Amino acid sequence: MLSWRWPFGRLRFRSKLGWGMAAIVLVFGLLLGHLLTDMAAHSLLEQHHKLGETVARNLARRAAEPLLATDLLRLENMVDEVTARTENAEYAFVVDAAHQVLAHSFERGFPVELIAANMPEDNRSHRQLLRSQPGLIDDFAAPVLIEGDRIGWVRVGVSRGAVSKTYTRLWMVGLGLTLAAIAFGLVLVSLFARTVARRLARLRDCAEEIVKGNLDVVSSEDNRVNCWEIMDCQMGNCPAYGEKRLRCWYQAGTLCPQCGPGGYPDKLSSCRHCPVYRRCAGDELQELAEAFDVMAATLKDYLGQIQTARQDMARQRQLLRTILDVTPDLVSLQDVNLVYQAANKAFCKYFNLEEKDIVGRTDFDIFSEAQADQNYHEDKQILVTGEALSKEIAVAGERNRRWFHILKVPVYDRDRITGLLLTARDITVVKQYQEQLVHSQKMEDLGRLAGGIAHEINTPLGIILGYTQLLLEDFEEGTQSRTDLETIEKQARICRKLVADLLGFSRQSGFTRAEMELNDSIREVISLVEHTFSLNKVWIRSDFDANIPPIEADKERLKQVWMNLFNNAFDAIGEDGFIFVRTKLCAHRRRVVVTVADTGPGIGEDDLDKIFDPFFSTKPVGKGTGLGLSVTFGIIKDHGGRINALSPAPNEYMPSEMEEQIQIGAGTVFIIELPVVDDVLPEDECEEATRHVVRSEQSSA
Amino acid sequence: MTFILVLCLGAFAGCDTEDSPVHVDWDKREELRLEPQREALTYAYLPQYSHTVSYQRHNKLVEYLRRTTGLPIRQVYPDTFDEHIHMVAQGKIDISFSNPMVYAKIAEQFGARAFARIVEPNGRAQFRGQIICRRDNKAITSLADCRGKSWIAVDPYSAGGYLFDLGVFLEHGLTREDFSEIAFAPGPGGKQEKVALAVFAGRYDIGSIREGTLDIVKDTIDVDQLRILAHTPWYPGWVYAARKGLPDKTIAKIRQALLDLDLAHPRDQEILDRAGFKAIIPSSDADYEPVRALMRTIGVEGDA
Repeated sequence: MLSWRWPFGRLRFRSKLGWGMAAIVLVFGLLLGHLLTDMAAHSLLEQHHKLGETVARNLARRAAEPLLATDLLRLENMVDEVTARTENAEYAFVVDAAHQVLAHSFERGFPVELIAANMPEDNRSHRQLLRSQPGLIDDFAAPVLIEGDRIGWVRVGVSRGAVSKTYTRLWMVGLGLTLAAIAFGLVLVSLFARTVARRLARLRDCAEEIVKGNLDVVSSEDNRVNCWEIMDCQMGNCPAYGEKRLRCWYQAGTLCPQCGPGGYPDKLSSCRHCPVYRRCAGDELQELAEAFDVMAATLKDYLGQIQTARQDMARQRQLLRTILDVTPDLVSLQDVNLVYQAANKAFCKYFNLEEKDIVGRTDFDIFSEAQADQNYHEDKQILVTGEALSKEIAVAGERNRRWFHILKVPVYDRDRITGLLLTARDITVVKQYQEQLVHSQKMEDLGRLAGGIAHEINTPLGIILGYTQLLLEDFEEGTQSRTDLETIEKQARICRKLVADLLGFSRQSGFTRAEMELNDSIREVISLVEHTFSLNKVWIRSDFDANIPPIEADKERLKQVWMNLFNNAFDAIGEDGFIFVRTKLCAHRRRVVVTVADTGPGIGEDDLDKIFDPFFSTKPVGKGTGLGLSVTFGIIKDHGGRINALSPAPNEYMPSEMEEQIQIGAGTVFIIELPVVDDVLPEDECEEATRHVVRSEQSSA
Repeated sequence: MTFILVLCLGAFAGCDTEDSPVHVDWDKREELRLEPQREALTYAYLPQYSHTVSYQRHNKLVEYLRRTTGLPIRQVYPDTFDEHIHMVAQGKIDISFSNPMVYAKIAEQFGARAFARIVEPNGRAQFRGQIICRRDNKAITSLADCRGKSWIAVDPYSAGGYLFDLGVFLEHGLTREDFSEIAFAPGPGGKQEKVALAVFAGRYDIGSIREGTLDIVKDTIDVDQLRILAHTPWYPGWVYAARKGLPDKTIAKIRQALLDLDLAHPRDQEILDRAGFKAIIPSSDADYEPVRALMRTIGVEGDA
């Protein structure tokens, strides 16, 4: 169905105003003209009636005496006088109580139908409109009364003709005046509509400017007197002084003594009595325009504040985002429905998701159902109780296990919980340090125990060995007894070696520090074993840093370290392999690093953490005691150093040129750090030593 | 919009419709002729007041007489004392109610006979005249001060309004010639009132009226502005007289009816109150000898 719209709605406001007011002026003008003309006509007719009634009553009053005296002459004179002196009077006559006409003003005969045309029954005056040949006549009948007794009637007829003519003339004049007034009114309406529309158009233009973003609009009239001119004010520090855009009562902090405190509109109560307001306050449109200007100015201020606040917020947000993204911790924020509202980069990276894949979702969309269910119950409990949750969890990865410290805290907005903040910190390294610490403590306790036992065994063992050697002197060679004694001596020596190792492990053996050349001590050991190793095609390659200064150390014990490491490498290689030894002075010249790498099969991940444990050995039974690396660990530690093992060995620890026919295994590298200046390693890390250690720890975690 | 609609309706509703006119054929005309009046006894009240006052005072009384006696009686209104006298003479007034001076004249000259007289509201069967002046007229404090002053009287035949007062002046040594002017109330009827009004207006220095007139004009003028300079002696009151030749039987009926009026009777009380009487008592011609004596004293004869 087509909708019909009144075309008036599409007109311009000026046209609407003009046409509307013109219609009002026209309607009211015509109505008013009609009403006034009608009122005038009624008034004219009323005056006509009052005149007739007055004339009739006067005649009735005057006719009483001659009527009583039957003075026909006086009555005749009276009626003649009435018709002569009363304007538009057509006739007058007097009738007695018996309805006999005693006197009349007709010149020839009396219209006989006239008597009965207006004959009231009571004693009140009565008017009756008559239609006759002369035209319409108002016939007024007035009783002649004495003390309420009616002794006759007088009748006066007044023609309507003159009244009608006057009425017509009046109507024409009224119509003309009305049309003239309407025309004049239309001109005024047009001027008024033009003025109002012009001011509204200015408001509209200003509104459009505001929509376009220009808030420096002035919609009020500018042909005005300013407050400082009216008050003859010299207060240049007043905010209203020199301000031509906003009136003073719209501004706060004006300095006039009569100005009230505060700003618009509170101060208006005091401004209404101010001569400036009385003189400058305009009509509603002017007030609207000025209020519009105030609104624009206020809006501009607000927008400026909002812009500043927005920039601050953006900066803060960026800063917060940067902090969250930079932190290695996993951070996420969930609302009370456990829907993710934010997640930092670490969080997204850990779960290998984009932020958009997390925000707006729940744990059930991200994790396995079991994990999500566990998280859900934990989170709900936090949201209900408001108590934070802190726990450490181990997450089994594809290659290793990682530890996380989970902290979930409720987020409050005033007194209401509005969300849940999760931070998860990777504490795998800390955990490893903890394990190493425990392991070191255990090693120390074990060494102390082994040392004690070895010390106690050493004395009887020495006695056994001594007596055995004495007995050997008593038996000749080749005898069974001498052979048995030699066996006892041999086994006792083995035991003595074991006890010596145990004492070494427990550092209860002698420890003599002296300045020594590190490279030389290593060369000495290499020269001792090089030939032996070569028999099994195990070759030692070395790369010594010539800048290594002399260090304070026990040369013999360090040589034992190198020997142990070379023997372990040789044992691991078996045949056909390389042992690569390198020394390096760190950049800050505060430590030296010795690496011993082999091309053996490497050490299993599970065994790598245990190789420094006493009596741990991967060798077959009888091939090793499991004390070599333990002793090595103890010697290095006694020198304030550190030893770590990596397997597989990174390539940079291996020699660059090796025979191609040699089978190269995963390899193992031992990294020894020794302090150069003090007895302990400096706190700062040595890049050359720790880079791969850390990497190795990460890969093994 | 609704307002405008209501206004329009109201505006056009204000145009009332004229009564539908009665058609009168202006051409149907006749020369009118008055019907002759029916034969009836005529009753006339000496026009000391206006015809209207005469009607008001005596209309009820005439109706009473008509009703009681069964006689056709109608009131007639002579314009002047003189006309009243002449109408009695001509037989146009059968029953005359007049002052004693006029009665003396019509009795003397035209054989009228008194058969009843009234008792004034003050309870007297006599009445008297009053000489009045303006209260603020300091030049007149006694009758002697009236010398050289202008005097307006009711009528040359007025008893209380002229003749009684003239007798008082004569007793005090003032004759007609001692006044700068003696005028009588002009025009027909209402002459007592005219005298009071003329003095009130200052047109004349003194006036003579019968007692009771000031009550009649108290609604017309402020009577407090007038001062009563003197009262005349009491004389027999107004008299009912029958013209010469009126049958005795008729006179007796009327006389009896008048005498029967009783102030104690509610119906009669209204008649008597309107007429200004307290009662009507029998009277005869002999009751008016004092009046005749006065007339002789002041030089007014019955045929004057």
